[in-house]
Amino acid sequence: MNHASQKAWEAITSLWLTIACLAVLMVLVVACTLAQVRLGLLGAVNVYMRSWFFWMDLGAFRVPIFPGGALVGLVLLVNLVAAQLRRIELSWKKAGIWTVHVGLVVLFVGEFVTGGWQVDARLAFEEGETVDWIQIDREVELALVDGTDPAFDDVHGVSETALARGGTVPIPGTPLSVRVKQFHRNAQFLRSSPIDPPAGVDRGAGVGVAIRPLAPVTSDDFMDRSAAVVEVLAGGQGLGTWLASNAIEAPQTFEHEGRSWSLALRPRREYLPYSLTLKDFTHDVYPGTRIPKNFSSLVRLENRKTGEDREVLIYMNQPLRYDGKAFFQASFGKDDTLSILQVVENPGWLLPYVSTVLVTLGLLVHFAIVFRRGARRAVPQES
Amino acid sequence: MSCDRGGDVTHFRVPKRTAPAPGAVAPASMAGDVPAPPSPGKGGALRWTLPKGWGESMGGQMRFATLTPPVPGKVDASVVVLSGDAGGELANVNRWRNQIGLPPIDGAELGRARRAVTTKAGPVSVYDFSSGGDGGNRVVAGLLLGQGDAWFVKLTGDAAAVAAARDDFMQIIGSLRFDESR
Repeated sequence: MNHASQKAWEAITSLWLTIACLAVLMVLVVACTLAQVRLGLLGAVNVYMRSWFFWMDLGAFRVPIFPGGALVGLVLLVNLVAAQLRRIELSWKKAGIWTVHVGLVVLFVGEFVTGGWQVDARLAFEEGETVDWIQIDREVELALVDGTDPAFDDVHGVSETALARGGTVPIPGTPLSVRVKQFHRNAQFLRSSPIDPPAGVDRGAGVGVAIRPLAPVTSDDFMDRSAAVVEVLAGGQGLGTWLASNAIEAPQTFEHEGRSWSLALRPRREYLPYSLTLKDFTHDVYPGTRIPKNFSSLVRLENRKTGEDREVLIYMNQPLRYDGKAFFQASFGKDDTLSILQVVENPGWLLPYVSTVLVTLGLLVHFAIVFRRGARRAVPQES
Repeated sequence: MSCDRGGDVTHFRVPKRTAPAPGAVAPASMAGDVPAPPSPGKGGALRWTLPKGWGESMGGQMRFATLTPPVPGKVDASVVVLSGDAGGELANVNRWRNQIGLPPIDGAELGRARRAVTTKAGPVSVYDFSSGGDGGNRVVAGLLLGQGDAWFVKLTGDAAAVAAARDDFMQIIGSLRFDESR
């Protein structure tokens, strides 16, 4: 190893690097906490903790001015592994320390997996209702639904990414395509006046409506009012231009070659290969007060593929874990007849538990080894 | 059910039974059949920001908008616009009091009951009246005089339901502003 490599190796394995990273993390945690007022919880976490750098706009340039949580976490991970390899001998005497370090590595990896792959969704159903889909509130999709079949709907969802990119999006398996003329993550609707630029909408509820783009909301307490102006094409011929928005509840429909279609902009929906029926929702309060004691949803789970048909009670801190998803009791409404479940899909959900077990085990092993060594030393002194 | 998750467009073939729970599955704050609200008399339209979970529908009968708080119980939230001063502040406050079975008050009591909230649309006079204790009725209402119109933003209903929605409702009042583009 030459001199430069030696220096780099010492820097990577340095305890000072560990301390510097922890100090930077403390700054990030404080900044992230304060930023939640302005950006909301998720926005602040994304800007400060799940980014490689914290960026600042300086005139026409956007420059990184501080390391983000992801970068600090990666450096800490490398530092931890390298320091372990350099300093700690591979022997049974150090088994506890090794286990603790492996546990910490698993913890870091778990956070990266969560940040990169976790999907949060929502499932809302009323008592007696059966639902086989969840919705992701932070994304929208343009849903084109062929409802001609009396028993089934063919649901085609154009992703928000495609809407934001614009252009023409063919709908596979159909003669239709969608030309995206405008897409705004957040917008305000006004009755169109002569000074407003024409939106070009000639069909549906958006005729005569002017659209004013707004900055997306950042607070957790508010939601975007998204808008898309789309022209539906068939064989290159326009069938009309619609304003689609999650602010428009009324169905917007059209016919083409004897098939009935509807069009809507809505939170992204993911359909499940099984269904959940809300049999009963219970909201208990402490006697004589309105203080909540317990919320629970008695749910019937049916999976036609596996033949599974069973009842599950979902209540606080006792989610239903099924098919890679966890269904948590999150909220309720409508005089306690509506239950809202938070649905979390996180391929790394077990990693923090594994990490905790490893760290605990490692500390216990290390303590036992040290204790045994101390006891052995003590025996000759006593004799 | 079959599905294709590839690329920009997903495809699912699903049974028709999956109707959404009204007011719950669509983003609650986005509810509303008509995107463009009716115009007020002279000035610009009043705007506000809905807290999470609230719904709204624009227009309908005499109303500029109906807001839907996500709380159980009997509760109604509305935005109404009338031209001019709509008969004056005292008359309207006594009308609200009458609606929940309270006797009228005079000008001096009106001043004591008033709470001023500063908004981008101008100062809003907010009143909060209850009758009949916890099981009774309550009204929380804001009056805004601006641009030649009188705007009433009102939350009324069972005392418990109004209490549950009051904090969010005050957020809405705090977010009032005029849209000058109209």
